Order: sequence, then structure tokens, then C-alpha cells
Amino acid sequence: MRLTNVVRTLHRQLHSPANNGTINASEIAHFSRLSSKWWDEQGEFAFLHRMNPVRVQFVQDKLLEVSREHEGEEAPLKRGLRGLHVLDVGCGGGLLSESLARLGANTLGIDASESNIKIAQLHASADPKLEHLSYLNAPAESLLSSSKQYDVVCSMEVLEHVDNPATFLSTCAELVKPGGHLFLSTISRSPLAYFLTIFLAEDVLRKVSRGTHTYSKFIKPTELVSFFQKHHSPPDGVVDLRYLEHATLSRPWISPDTSPTSPPRNEAEVRGLIYHPLKAKWLLAPRDAWAATDCNYIFWVRKPFQ
Amino acid sequence: MALAGTSRTYCLNARNARSLQGILPSFLTRSFSTTNNEPHEECDVVIVGGGPAGLSLAGALGTLNFGRKDIVLVWTETVKGSSRSARENLRITLVEGGDLSKVREWSPPLGTYSNRVVSLTNTSQSFLKDMGAGSHVDTQRTAPIEEMQVWDGVSDARITFSASEIGLSRPHEGMARLTEILNLQRGLLHHLDTLPTVQLLEKTKVSSIIRDAESSGGWPLVHLDNGRILRARLLVGADGFNSPVRAYAQIPSFGWSYDTQGIVATMVHPPRGAFQGPNTTAYQRFLPTGPIAFLPLSPTASSLVWSTRPHIAAALTKSEPAVLASMINAAFRLPELSLRYLYDRLIEAHAAGTPLTAAQLQSEIQWRESSHGIDPNSAYASASVRAVADTAAGVPAADSEMVPPLVTSLQPGTVATFPLRFNHTESYIGEGAGSRTVLVGDAAHTVHPLAGQGLNMGLADVECLTRCIEDALEKGGDVGSYTALLPYAQERYFENHTLMGTVDKLHKLYTTTSEPIVWARSVGVEVLNEFDSVKAALMMTAGARDHKVDPTAAGWNMAAKGVEGLAASVNTAKLIGGGLGGMVGAGLQSLLKTALSTRPPPPASGH
Repeated sequence: MRLTNVVRTLHRQLHSPANNGTINASEIAHFSRLSSKWWDEQGEFAFLHRMNPVRVQFVQDKLLEVSREHEGEEAPLKRGLRGLHVLDVGCGGGLLSESLARLGANTLGIDASESNIKIAQLHASADPKLEHLSYLNAPAESLLSSSKQYDVVCSMEVLEHVDNPATFLSTCAELVKPGGHLFLSTISRSPLAYFLTIFLAEDVLRKVSRGTHTYSKFIKPTELVSFFQKHHSPPDGVVDLRYLEHATLSRPWISPDTSPTSPPRNEAEVRGLIYHPLKAKWLLAPRDAWAATDCNYIFWVRKPFQ
Repeated sequence: MALAGTSRTYCLNARNARSLQGILPSFLTRSFSTTNNEPHEECDVVIVGGGPAGLSLAGALGTLNFGRKDIVLVWTETVKGSSRSARENLRITLVEGGDLSKVREWSPPLGTYSNRVVSLTNTSQSFLKDMGAGSHVDTQRTAPIEEMQVWDGVSDARITFSASEIGLSRPHEGMARLTEILNLQRGLLHHLDTLPTVQLLEKTKVSSIIRDAESSGGWPLVHLDNGRILRARLLVGADGFNSPVRAYAQIPSFGWSYDTQGIVATMVHPPRGAFQGPNTTAYQRFLPTGPIAFLPLSPTASSLVWSTRPHIAAALTKSEPAVLASMINAAFRLPELSLRYLYDRLIEAHAAGTPLTAAQLQSEIQWRESSHGIDPNSAYASASVRAVADTAAGVPAADSEMVPPLVTSLQPGTVATFPLRFNHTESYIGEGAGSRTVLVGDAAHTVHPLAGQGLNMGLADVECLTRCIEDALEKGGDVGSYTALLPYAQERYFENHTLMGTVDKLHKLYTTTSEPIVWARSVGVEVLNEFDSVKAALMMTAGARDHKVDPTAAGWNMAAKGVEGLAASVNTAKLIGGGLGGMVGAGLQSLLKTALSTRPPPPASGH
């Protein structure tokens, strides 16, 4: 399907300003240095370990909600993630990938850092229950050429570490099957987020290595929603290139005439992730809770069928 | 769980592994492992120990595999259903060194009872019922406790607790149910027999526990004496006070032995008369040597738990059973001074090689009673058991509810003693080289039996751990991971610690005869009797907590504060020596303030 690839490449170039890669070399070096610590549950990545169950819960809840919407309340019990093809972009040590695989998803974890992938593979090899899990040391862009699309694409706590987030988002979006799901979690660009994730976590409490986060790379939830209000999936199949500009693109992922602060619930959702210091656990904030998405948040968007 | 001479093995292994970790990149340590290539069986949960805690954990986890039957909300059921297939694969293995077939086939002659009993709280009962084990416990052999009488052995200040008073939803079922531990264990085993997913390895000892190579995840490898090796995603220590799992996990514990022994026995007595209530009242008298408790099992049988000084316990248990029976009756009735005299007589007689006979003791008791002016027809008279047994058929003495029925004999072979300890581990979860381990029940904590809470605490641990494991499974978590287990430790450690501290303080508070202290505590007790909320809180000690109406956190804190206040006033009393200064009053005032400020608002329908 060379032509499709050409269309995709074209589309990408139309869609975002120049540049091909989203990988930031210094970010990769930073996480490679830390890679051995991925599975120290009380160390550098303790926060991520504790956040993981909440992220998985959100993914499961959302899949259930959508399947109910389609099949009605009387629908046979949905199998959740079982049997779905799931891609975890920027899987790090495999915290999320392992959980998704344990829930029955055919999971592929990819990461641009070779040492991360090695750690993830080593860790998974100790667990006899992770048969449906594989890892690949590759940037997300490299998967586009295989034309395989996934039921679910996750990229958790990655967006704030990439260059050209728009390109990265388009890439992730293209890897989703029509009707499939994209889950992202990241940090908003707000004074609160700066205070908690950089000033407190990195500088004062030193729970997280310095330089892990860069304020300017944080992305607000409204920016994500706006992106998908303008984002059209490239047309499928063969298209006459001469008419590309006039071709009817598929509808945007999120209805453009809705407010970016409250997208329609069957198209996208933004939920805050709040750390409760006394319980030492993360909580999923209720929908539309005030200021809940000012720091860590999780985002879901569904790819239209056409 | 015997683990003869192996402790050194796993300590060395753990240390080696740790020191290698520091020097070499973790993947290089693989070549140092010899265990890696041995054939092993993969298990999700390996439980060491087939006592009540271990068996109930296996039962609760095995029940998870089938999904809960009692989920009401459709939506919830769907969520649970979505991960049910993940649960079906949970492989559970329980290892027990003893022969459980004796427990499984236990069928005692009618009317006889084992000497090891537990007062199962309502919470514990609900937990057993929810997992499906409740119906396997023979309820004919259990008895509800509907009322408790607790009094100070020196001042006679008394508190009465009753199930109907504290607003339980089903007061007729009592605030707790007295159950033989064997009955409970047998029920749990029968429940396990219905769960094919649980592998039960009995008459199998753990010979050593070794950490797998770092490159293989460092999971615990449980070597059994039959040569099998179990590789455990999660290793649970339900293996009692000398827990080999705790040793493997290198979890330190702290504690002490009380200078006290517990005597247990099954007591036989005539049924309560027609004008008296049924035998559903538990009695506990706090003597300076330790509390003595009378726990009803049936109309004519009750269980004894008597904590006392080791030399007294030795003299009591060496005596003929009729002497012990008379001493039990006396210990619930005679003034403390006379009891001390009787202990001395018993000990002297033993030392002289001429132990007291039952007749000699009865005449001693009779003389003490007449010198105290105790009416021979009073319930407090126990010199002549037969005379009182006859009156039981007729009109009972007016004060007959104040003391337990007179013991006529002890069931042969049921007298036994055990040491009393306080012990609490520093953590419930293994970390680092001991990761993927968790402790429940006595392996984690040993408590003074005066409140009968040891086993209930263990069941509460198991209930909580099961919930954490279920939660982790539903979110794709690794049930052996620190993250999955942390909520268990967070929930149970503090609650157990509060309870244990309260029980320990109660013990220390009541094992003194110093006058200001006795005064302070009896005023304390009588004041407490007037404050329903504090009383309800103190009843937690006896396990009356109603399942799912959860006043627990507040309740226990209140109980703890109440005892704390009392203990503080006792310390003050110690400071000022013989005199009763205003400070004791101040201490009590603060106790009252605590009681008032923590008293819950009256119910809306109240007066």
C-alpha cells in the first residue's frame, strides 16, 4: 500500500509544521539513566506505580461505557480488554503494559530508549502470566509504515517529554483503528502544576530526579481537546492526489462547535488525577471537578468510524 | 511450621543476593543462581500455615476465583465480570506441616467441647458467611454472647454490656459468637474442599525459602520437604508467632512476654434455672494477677480463660481437677485478699509435697466466706457446690446474675496453659530482598487474650488482604507487588496497633492493687458505665462491632482515648504516691471531656 503511505506522509506534512521526529535526545538519555529504577516501587517512580491502577481503571471504565453505548445495557458482559490489540507508546519500564497484558490485551509496548525496553523485557520475563506482551525499541513514527492499527493506543506521561507534540499526537491518532480509543495522560501547564511537579517533587522533596519535567512542555487539557476538534483522520484507501485538497476529509474526532472545556462525553473526556498524600494514593477526580485538571490529568478520545 | 536449622540458609542467600546487587549489574547475577534451573511450580499465592488465618485466606481467595455471589448492583457485576476470567487463573497453594485430616474428621462426643475457643465478632462472622464458609461451621456447637459482665477484682466496680444496648441490627444474635477453633477450622477445610482451585499441601513442611535470582525477578522459591519447589508471586506468612516467612522477609518484630500464663479448660456446670436467663452472659473479673473469663458454650458447658502469674498457674494446674474447679468458683467470688491467701496455701502445700485435697480447699473457702460474712445462700458462696446446685432448680439467689454458674467439674483432658505475649512486627510487607511477602494473623501480631481479639484481628487481616488482592487483579496489577499490598498495611497496621495498645494498657492498668490506682480505675469504670458512647467503644474490645455499620475508626480511637485517659490518671496517681491529689481528678476530668466531646450526636429520632 505504498500510495496510502504517501497519503499519510502528505497528510502529516499538511497537518503539522515540517520536522519528522518527535523524539527528544536529551529526554531519552535522561530516562535511560534512570531505567534501572523503573521497578523500584518505593523509589524514583513510586508515584507512577501508584498512579497505574487509576489509569487502568479509567481505561476499563471508558471501554465499558462505550460498549454499553453501542450494545445497550442488556449487552452481554463485555470482556474488557481481553483480546483487544493495545499499543503502549513510551512504555518505559512497562508499568502500564504489564497491567494491560494481565487483563488479557495483546499488548505491544514501544519506547525510544533501548535500556528502558531491556528493563521492561527482563521484568516481564520473570512473570509467567505475561504471554501476550511484547516490546519494541522504536519511535512511534516507525510503526506507521506497517499500516497496523490498534483497538487502543495509550501513551501515559509521555506527551510532556516529546518534541513536536502535534506530530506525536497525529502519529498516535493514526495508529488507532476507526472506532478505537486513544488514551493520554500528562501534566497541564498551570502554576499549580509547576509548583507540584517541578518545585515540590523535584526541587524540594527530591522525590523525582531534577530535570524530569520541563514546564514549557506541559500541555493544557483544552489544548488537547482543541487539537482533536481540528484533527481529521486521513482518508482511507486510494485517493487521487490531485483532488486531495478537495476530498471530503472524515469528520474531526471531537465536534468543533463544542466548548474545549467540556467536550461531548461520547467523543472525549478529561479527568483530573489527584494525589492524596495521606492515603498515599492517586484518585480519579469526579467529572468537572473544579481545578482538578490543573495538574495531572488523563484524556480519552475516540476515533470516528469514518 | 517446623523449619529446623534452615534459617541460616535463607539469611545467607538473601544477604548474598543483596551484596551482589550492589556490585554487579543485576542481569549478571544470573550466573550465580543455582535455583534458576531447578524445576519449580508457578503459584500466584503460596500461603504457609493452615491455621484459621491461612485457611480463611485460601478460602476467601478461592471464592474470588468464582466471583462473588452477592453483588447487588448490575453495573458492579459487569465490572467484576469483566475481570472474572483474569481471576479464574489465580493459583493458590496452602502449605501446612500438620495433618489436617484430623481436623477435617474431628467429631467430638456430644456435650464435650475443645478447650480452645474464640469469640467471633459479628464482623468476623459476616466475613466467613460472605465467603461461603459460614454454613460449614456447626452452629449447634456455638453460642451467642448477649451480655457481658466485667468487673474490677479489687473494687468491684462493674460494667455491663449488652447486645441490645448498642444498637446492633440483630441483637438476638449477640455481640459475638463463641466458637471452638477446631469447629471453625473444620468448617474452613470443608469450604476449601468445594474450591478446586486451591491446592492444599498438608503434612508438608517448608524446608527453606530462597530468593530466586535477581534476573528472574527475585521471587521467593519455597522448597518443600518432599522436594517440590513453589515459585511464589506472593508468599503469605500465616505461620504463627515463629513465622519462617517473617524470617525470610527479614521483618523485625518487637514485643515482650507478660509475666503471665493463660489457663484454659472446658467447665461443666448445671443449667441456669427457670427464673434466670439462658447461659449467654460472658463474665470477666479483672484480678491483680490477671483477668479470669467465663465464656458460655452451651447451657451446661463454658470455657475458661484465666490469666495469672506463672507460679500460681503451675500450682493450679498441678492440683486435682476438683481443686481447680473450686478455685475457679472462688476466683469469680471471693474478695481479692482471700484469693491471695488461697494461692499461698496451694503453693505451700505443693512445696511441702502434700497438695490440698478438694475437701481441704472447700473448708478453707467456707471459712473465708464466713469471715467475710458471705451468706451461704448468696450466689457469692461457692463452698458447697451441691447445696447451690440444688437451689438452681428452685428460686435463684437475688444476686445470681452477678456471677457465672457454679462449676461442678472440668471436662477431662481440657486443662492446659500457654504463655502470654505481646508482639508486633515492624511491617506487614516484605521489602527489598524480602519482597513479595506479606504477613497475616499471629505471624504479624500476638496480643494479650483478655479481649479475645487475636483471631478476629487475623480474620480482619485476611478480609483486608483479600480485598487488596481483588482490587489489584481488577486493575491488572501484580498481586505480589508492593503497590498492590501497600493498602493492606496502611489499613491494618494502625488499627491493629491501636487495639493492641489498648488491650496492653488495660492489662497493665488492672494488674495493680495500689489504692489510688484502684480508686482511679474503679471511678473510671463506673463513670464509663454511664457513657454509652465510650462503653460502646470499649465493647469493641469484646468484639461487638456490627458488620458494615462502621463506627470502627472512631470507636477504637474513643476506646483508646478512654483507656489512655485512665492510664494517664494512673500515672499521675503513681507520681503522687499514696495521696489522692487534685491531679487524679484532673485526669478523670480530661477523660470525661474526651468522653463528652467524642460522643456521637443523638439519633434524629431520639429524645
